[in-house]
This record gives sequence, C-alpha cells and structure tokens, in this order.
Amino acid sequence: MKILKLLILILIISVVIIQFIPNDKPEVVLANENDLIYNNQLPENISVMLKESCYDCHSNETVYPWYSHVAPVSWLVVKDIRDGRKELNFSFWESQSKMDKAKHLDNIIDEVLDENMPMPIYTIMHANAKLTKEERQLLADWAERHAESLFE
Amino acid sequence: MKKILIFMLTLVMGFMFVNFTIEDKKTPQDEVKSEAATYSVPDDVQKILDNSCVGCHNSDSKNIKGKGKLKFDEFADMKLHKQVGKLADIAEVVKEGDMPPSKFIKNYPDREPTAEEKEKLVKWANEMAKQLTPAE
Repeated sequence: MKILKLLILILIISVVIIQFIPNDKPEVVLANENDLIYNNQLPENISVMLKESCYDCHSNETVYPWYSHVAPVSWLVVKDIRDGRKELNFSFWESQSKMDKAKHLDNIIDEVLDENMPMPIYTIMHANAKLTKEERQLLADWAERHAESLFE
Repeated sequence: MKKILIFMLTLVMGFMFVNFTIEDKKTPQDEVKSEAATYSVPDDVQKILDNSCVGCHNSDSKNIKGKGKLKFDEFADMKLHKQVGKLADIAEVVKEGDMPPSKFIKNYPDREPTAEEKEKLVKWANEMAKQLTPAE
C-alpha cells in the first residue's frame, strides 16, 4: 500500500515536472494571403471538409485544444502539427508551383481514399473531423478536378 | 535515263535514311524540349526503374499498395496532371529515401539503387515533371 502511494506520488511529481520542459508550439496565423480556400472558389462542402478535417495540422490556422497544452500529450500534438505543416501547408498553397500542387493533390487523393488521413488518432478527439466514405470520395473527386483545371 | 532515275531515287532514300538516323540520335532531353513535351524515359533511367521500382509498380504486381499508387506500364496513358503529380512524388520519395522501401532493400539488397542512380532518377523525374507542366 505504501509502495502504491509512493508510486502515485512519483507519477504526479513527474507529470508536474515535465510541464516545464520547453515545447514550442507552431505559431497560429489566421490571415494567410496564399491560402487555398482564401484564393479559390471551392465548393462550400469541400472548404468545410478541408477546414474541419485537415486544417488543424495542414495549415497555420491550428486550433489548439486544452489538452494540447499538457505534457506529454502536447509533445505528440506538436510533433504531428510540425510534420503535417512540413508535408503540406494549405496556408502557403498559392506560393507553390503547379508541379507541386499536382503532387499534393495526387497525394491527397491517395491518402484520403486509403483512409490514412485524417489520422485515426486525431479523429478520436475530433469527431467532426471524421470523414464518411462518401465524403472521402467527394474530396478525392474535387482534388482530381482541381488538378485537372490547373493543367487546362 | 533509267540509271539516273535509280541514282536519284537512291539519293532521296539515302537522305531520308540519314534524317531518320539523326532523329534517333536525339537525346531524350532534346525531344521533350519541343513544344508539346511527352513522357519519355532515357535508357539509363529505365534501367534503374526496371531494377528497383517496376517490380512492385506495375499492373501485374502482387503489391496492392504499390500498384495502387503507381503503375509504370500505364504511366503514358494517364492525364498530364497525374503524370506530373506522380513524377514530382517519385522525385520526393526517392530523394527522402522513402522509396524503395527498406523491406524491399532487405529482401533484394542487390537491387538497391546506388546514390548516383538515385540522384539520376530524382533529376529525371524532376525535369520531366517540369517539362510536362504548362507555364504558370
């Protein structure tokens, strides 16, 4: 019993201590002049899907939930956002070449249809980010059309 | 008269033949620089693709994921934006070392592309993608 108490105490103390480890969160910028949605007349349902299911990690408009401020969860959140923005950042969409846009749109189709994205760990805590099969198809069809329009 | 005719005919055919040989000697880079660029693979790049990529990335492949992403035998039939998207992705995944996958290299160590081959592949994919992309 005494050991259990001691263990819990150690656990609590370590959780408190790790809160002081610096963990720089990627900055939030809401006005992005090169943003995909801002610069293109996307269908309403597509913009909503992108915002709700992708933008937290793939744009500068991240909405940080309360638990993202608590270590060790915050470390995971920060890592995923960093990786996400590095791979694809919709806030910088228009600053890319057509070639890179085509690459990203092609990857979006694969990732969304293969259900790799949005990441399951993300949709656990963000129920509204979940995409149905039909929504996935809509998003993929849009990506295909958008890529095609760039090459007309 | 007949002799002259035959002589001239031979001359004309000779000219045509010479023209064809010149055509053939054009490097692929020269070919795609023309106005309507088309997907083309120089022999040295094709060798690398055959050795390290096509095994999974073809329509008869048993690797569902691999062929789902990319099938080289159907590449030329894809729409232009697809070709460019795939080429740009090829350049990225090879450069980052994500492809060929470590499992493939473990199973077929002799088919791992050398650093030089990777560089050649990335350069080709990037240049091809750029050439196929219409001006901004």
